[in-house]
Amino acid sequence: MSIDWVTVLAQIANFLVLVWLLKRFLYKPILKGIDSREAEIAERMGEAKRAKDKAAAAEADFVARQQKLQADQDALAERVREQAKQQRDALLAEAHEKMEQERQDTLAHLARERERFTSELYQASAETLYQLAGRALHDLADERLEEHIALHVIGKLAPLSDELASAAEHAEEAVATTHDPLPEGARQEVKAALQARVPGLPLRFATDESQSPGLVLRIGSLELAWTVDSYTDELVELLKERLASGESGRVNAHGG
Amino acid sequence: MQLTPDETTVFTLWGLGINETVVNTWIVMAVLTIASMLVTRKLRPDVPPNRWRTTLEVIVTGIQRQVEEVSPQSSRHVLYFSGTLFLFIALSNLLLVVPGFTPPTSSLSTTAALALSVLVAVPLFGISRQGIGGYLKTYIQPSIVMLPFNIISEFSRGISLAIRLYGNVMSGAVIAGILLGLAPFFFPVVMDVLGLLTGLIQAYIFAILATVYIASATATVKKSDHDLDSEREHKEQDR
Repeated sequence: MSIDWVTVLAQIANFLVLVWLLKRFLYKPILKGIDSREAEIAERMGEAKRAKDKAAAAEADFVARQQKLQADQDALAERVREQAKQQRDALLAEAHEKMEQERQDTLAHLARERERFTSELYQASAETLYQLAGRALHDLADERLEEHIALHVIGKLAPLSDELASAAEHAEEAVATTHDPLPEGARQEVKAALQARVPGLPLRFATDESQSPGLVLRIGSLELAWTVDSYTDELVELLKERLASGESGRVNAHGG
Repeated sequence: MQLTPDETTVFTLWGLGINETVVNTWIVMAVLTIASMLVTRKLRPDVPPNRWRTTLEVIVTGIQRQVEEVSPQSSRHVLYFSGTLFLFIALSNLLLVVPGFTPPTSSLSTTAALALSVLVAVPLFGISRQGIGGYLKTYIQPSIVMLPFNIISEFSRGISLAIRLYGNVMSGAVIAGILLGLAPFFFPVVMDVLGLLTGLIQAYIFAILATVYIASATATVKKSDHDLDSEREHKEQDR
């Protein structure tokens, strides 16, 4: 066992060469590859982190936008709800107003209808009354009624003295027409009353079955009638006046 | 019985006899270099590593991790040095199984050369790290009385490195040779398998010890309180 120093020097040289060779062909390429791969991995991880951060930011942005959208949607829904409520209130108010107007119109219409119906009722009642009264007077009229009317005429002539005298100036005679012949007594009283107002004017009595019961006195163009028809016509005129004046239409027994 | 391959001259070059130790060393160097070149010749970052490249990466990163565990502040030059030590010794010892191949590490000249390399590399790494003054100061730590002991320690650990590696490898080969004479079939195989394990362990121990020595030389010397007070006084005087 001995040390060959030449071999030692050669081995030292060999070792140093081997160090250089392995550094050149093993360590540097391997470590460089590892370093570059680590750098690439680090870069990729950095990119992944950046992508993750970007995704997180996008998610946060999306969430914020979604919340804003939700808030806008809620606000819009609230606004629409408020507008719908206002519109509904307006429509309800308008409908109420229309209903009130229609109610008022209906009430007015009903009032007018009632008024018209009442008026028509009164008119029909008056016509019926007139017809009933006329029929009753016609049915009840007889010679005594005409006699009573003739006697009543005598009282009525007094205020008509001027008209009678004026009419008599152009007339030759006076004609008293009745439905039935007047009794002689009644004729004399009528004649006496006319002579008292228009002296000298002859009076002739005539009958006309088409005339309603009563007495019609004609002196020239003057015609004075006190018949059942004239009474009923007077009744009708009186009723018309009352209805036209807006009164209740009730007619008392005395003709107002 | 031949104990060292230094005595076998393989050929003569320019009048200089090239012994088996040197030739086998070249073979180991060639295997390591060619294998590295073949694996790393098409190495590109965008190409996924194949199994050979992965194997080399595992070996290199394993060595790097061991070096960093021993010396966290070491540079890559320590990796080159200690890694080459490990790979060379390990491959030399593994080639023991090749018939007719005598590991160069079974030569005391080789182990002495490696120990001398460590012996020279340690102060070089220390000086490159701390400067020549800082490195020489480590020899008088903790006091100047320790200077001769530190120098003896420095040389003795180089010698121990060389003798330990040589003794282990050579003894394995010698024992295998003796057993080959006694029981030619069974024991040499067992001893060769044991020699593979022992060789790897020796490579690891040698490389790790070298790294530890380098780390101890490159470690920053912790300044004592006395030194700190002296520096403070100097600064105040400068003001």
